[in-house]
Amino acid sequence: MKLNINIKGKKRIIEIKEEIGKVIIKIGKKEFSFKKLNNKKGDISVAQTNIPKKASKKEIKAPIAGTITKIFIKEKQTFKKNQKIVSLSAMKMENEIISDFQGTIKEILVKEDQKVQEGDILVTLE
Amino acid sequence: MLLKKYKSVSSTNIIAKKMDYEPWTVIWSEEQTLGHGQKTNSWFSPKGGLYFSVILPKSTIEDLQTLTILASFIVAKIIKENFKIEPFIKLPNDIFINQKKIGGILTENIIGEDVKFSIMGIGLDTNIEKFPKELENIATSLKIEVGKKIDNEKILKQIVQGIKNQLKIISE
Repeated sequence: MKLNINIKGKKRIIEIKEEIGKVIIKIGKKEFSFKKLNNKKGDISVAQTNIPKKASKKEIKAPIAGTITKIFIKEKQTFKKNQKIVSLSAMKMENEIISDFQGTIKEILVKEDQKVQEGDILVTLE
Repeated sequence: MLLKKYKSVSSTNIIAKKMDYEPWTVIWSEEQTLGHGQKTNSWFSPKGGLYFSVILPKSTIEDLQTLTILASFIVAKIIKENFKIEPFIKLPNDIFINQKKIGGILTENIIGEDVKFSIMGIGLDTNIEKFPKELENIATSLKIEVGKKIDNEKILKQIVQGIKNQLKIISE
C-alpha cells in the first residue's frame, strides 16, 4: 500500500508492506519494521520497532575536513569500544577516529588518500 | 607541568598516547628511534636535539587546530628572543632558519564522539652538530646557526609555557 502525504509542506510517499510476523513502513530511503502481536490481527507493538534511538550508532562521521590516511577496519568486521576505525589527517593534525561503542562495520564509504568534508559519513554500522 | 624524561624512546608521541590522561604532562626524550612527522615522514632524532610531547587539556577540535598553527609562532618567537636570529615559518607547522628546516610540530588527537586525547609533539634541532648527507642541505640546528650549546630544558619550558598561555587565550 502506498500513501502520498504532506508533512510540513513536503510531499512524502509512504509505503506499507505486510510480511509474515511484521509490518514494514518505508518513508523515502528509511525503513521501519514493526513486529506484529499475536493476539489481534493487525495490531503492532511500537516498543519492538527497530527505529534507531541514536543516529550516531549507525554511522561514524568525519569530525573535521581532511584526508583519510589509513583505514584500520574491514567491512563486516566487528569492532570493540575505543577501537581505531580510520586515521584522518587535517591541517597537520593526525586524528585517530575511534568508536565509542562496539558493533559491526556494514560499509566503508571512503578510501585511503580520499579527501572528506566535516560531517561526511566514513563508515556505516550494523 | 609534570616532566618525564627518557634517554631513548621510539617516539615521544607514541609514549604520550599510552600514558594516563594527565594534561600538561611532558614526555621528553634525548633521542627518538622512530621520530616521525605527518603520515610516514620520519624525523631525524639523534642525541642533542630537543624532542618532546605535551598532553593537552581537552579542547575542541577547532581550538586544537588553531593551537597547532600558533605553536609554530611560539617556537619561532622563543628562538628569536633567545638567539637573536630570524626564523621563518612555513605554515602551518614547520620552522626554518636560512632556508633550512630546524623544527616541526605534530598534533595527534584521538576522537570518538568528542576529543578524547590530544598531544602535541615538537621536534627542534638544537645541539645537532652534523646531519647525514641527504639532510645537510635542507636541515640545520641552532648550534650550527648560533655557534653555542643550547640549554634544551630551558627552551622546552619556555615553549610549554607559551603553549599554555596561548591555549588559555584561544579557549576563553
